[in-house]
Amino acid sequence: MGIKELLSQYGDQYISALFTTWKLTFFAFAIAFVIGVIVTVMRISPVKPLRIFAEFYVQIFRNIPGASLLMVLVYALPYLDVLLSYFTCVLIAASLIPAAFCSEYLMAGINTIGTGQIEAARSLGLTFMQIIRRVVIPQALRSSVLPLTNLLVATMLTTALASQVPMNPRDLTGLVAHINTHAVGGVTAFLISALMYCATAVVIGQIGNRIDRKVRILR
Amino acid sequence: MRDKRTSVKDALFEPPGPKTQKIIWAVTALSLAALAALIVVVVRRFYETGQLDSKYWSIFTKWTTWKFLGKGLLGTLEAAVVAGIVTFAVGFILMVLRISGSIIASAVSTALIEFTRGVPTLLFIYFFFLVVPKFGVKLPAFWKICLPVSISACGVVAEVLRSGVNAVPKGQKEAAQSLGMMPHSVFLKVVFPQAFRFVVPALISELVIVVKDTTFAYVVNFPDLMQNAKVLISNYDALLSVYLVVAVIYIVINWLLNRASVAAAHRTGK
Amino acid sequence: MPEKTIGTGSNDIPVIQLKHVDKHFGSLHVLKDISLSVKKGEVVVIIGPSGSGKSTLCRTINRLETIDSGEILIEGVKMPQEGKELARLRAQIGMVFQSFNLFAHKTIIDNVILGPMDVLHKSRKEAKEEAMQLLKRVGVDSQAEKVPAQLSGGQQQRVAIARSLAMHPKAILFDEPTSALDPEMIGEVLDVMTELAREGMTMLVVTHEMNFARRVASRVIFMDGGSIIEENTPDEFFSHPKSQRAQDFLNSIKDH
Repeated sequence: MGIKELLSQYGDQYISALFTTWKLTFFAFAIAFVIGVIVTVMRISPVKPLRIFAEFYVQIFRNIPGASLLMVLVYALPYLDVLLSYFTCVLIAASLIPAAFCSEYLMAGINTIGTGQIEAARSLGLTFMQIIRRVVIPQALRSSVLPLTNLLVATMLTTALASQVPMNPRDLTGLVAHINTHAVGGVTAFLISALMYCATAVVIGQIGNRIDRKVRILR
Repeated sequence: MRDKRTSVKDALFEPPGPKTQKIIWAVTALSLAALAALIVVVVRRFYETGQLDSKYWSIFTKWTTWKFLGKGLLGTLEAAVVAGIVTFAVGFILMVLRISGSIIASAVSTALIEFTRGVPTLLFIYFFFLVVPKFGVKLPAFWKICLPVSISACGVVAEVLRSGVNAVPKGQKEAAQSLGMMPHSVFLKVVFPQAFRFVVPALISELVIVVKDTTFAYVVNFPDLMQNAKVLISNYDALLSVYLVVAVIYIVINWLLNRASVAAAHRTGK
Repeated sequence: MPEKTIGTGSNDIPVIQLKHVDKHFGSLHVLKDISLSVKKGEVVVIIGPSGSGKSTLCRTINRLETIDSGEILIEGVKMPQEGKELARLRAQIGMVFQSFNLFAHKTIIDNVILGPMDVLHKSRKEAKEEAMQLLKRVGVDSQAEKVPAQLSGGQQQRVAIARSLAMHPKAILFDEPTSALDPEMIGEVLDVMTELAREGMTMLVVTHEMNFARRVASRVIFMDGGSIIEENTPDEFFSHPKSQRAQDFLNSIKDH
């Protein structure tokens, strides 16, 4: 199938697939960030059980393969009378895993601050919350711009899990599988999706780089 | 000095005074209760839906189950190792092209690196599963999973290797050149071995991603751990338990790999 | 600027007082029954071999290290253990660290005004005006808009001193302020400290700079193995050390 034919027949579906991938990516990343922050707060808290729980979370979800998690969510949970829509399952899988990495990056960002600055803030008479607000969060966020940018791209790649479940509309990967099993899409069908992914990744990378250059902390 | 011994994680909260200590104890007790409640809820769910029934778990007392899963695990490891080697080889070539100094080679390599980094593994898998056969190329299932996984990871590996090469001090290269070594042997014998040592931890981390990506082997019908788990599920009526056990196996393998990566990082001095 | 007049009435209460302070790191007894006091306007210099506990001692006064037993009093008020009261008392005692510890994400001027704005609740304008004067006083006013990483170690440490001064502290603790500096930068920091001492600032200084101790100290305290071994005027201490350990220590550094 030539590219013209392909686009005339599947053009609309490509557009909606692109938006589905974007939508999944955006929501998954937003959820991952929130969970990542919460998990990080638990990990630095002086409360042992919370620390252990958060550490457990990170180790489980940075090591579980996306496919394995998705299988559990889609096929195993119904046995526990937990029925989730396919979209929800993909969204959960694509946010729980990046959340673990998000916490790792934030922890790394916090660790670059060094204990000295925290002691200096303390000796100036800043309270705990002031230290968190004025010293820890700004530095941790500014030094994790690049890792979080990469995480956003990784989240997008993870949303390809959507192709493993019947979803309507399909995502970019699911659409390619669909076209190729129903018509002769060939290399072109694959390339269109691939380029859409790539273009998104490049744009995200560019924006991330620009932000990083603006806020990077000299050390 | 002393302040370098404690990590920021521990320094953030100063040694608590008596009042703070009481609050910490209270929150600790509260969170323990919450976690216990969570466990109770989950276990009760399992119990009420009958998932704790021994018929779902008894298959794990059978030697044949573990043998079958072990076979799948072997398939996973085989695919991961081969894919890892291919990834490294392709990544190495891409890295050499990128730093070759030739504008064209560098541009092509950069484009390939960006392309492989921006496309999900699953899309490559579908390419090899659905598109490649249409050109009359008959690949065994093993390669239908290994190749896409390698392609998907090689861009990252190329960049990791490049960062390692950049980290080797210039003086090393200059010293080797002053001994009259040829450029390619300077690179292969002096620069790259050092660069490799720097990036061993990052390469092991990338191997974790390779292992994870091989779980899609069921798409191409290659008998890896996940695929064998699916076979097990269709033979026995024990979906939940099998998927959970398999997930735990994957988590443990990758956790061990990550531990190895951390240990390697300590040995090379970060 | 601190008042030059050293009052007689309040002079009886030491600015900093430690009573029978003990501290362990695990099985290591790092502070053994330490008692000392620093009066208003005094410059007390603590010297001793590394590992003698002098740095730990300095840090306990700001509760950057906790103590196992004993008392630490600031102007007769017992050091609180937590909360707002602790923060308030910390704000009254300045601290200058070995590794400067400037806030990496803030400009020099923002480093200096953070405390006055957030803790003393001054307006930005007011804090900034004073901060500029302080930066001028330590000789780095031309660097005000740069970030710490763009400054030399000596400049960073002088900014750290200005940051402490901006809080109008009752005393400043110096924890080996020149130990992380290149030799050519030590002088510029010691000059600022000497100037402060001359203006009547109450100071507790942990240092290896014997010349500074000799010239500036009102009193020298020699520590070894977690105990105060000797306490004397600099003249007496350096010319006639009483204890064997102090003699050994002074001889060992003379060799260098």
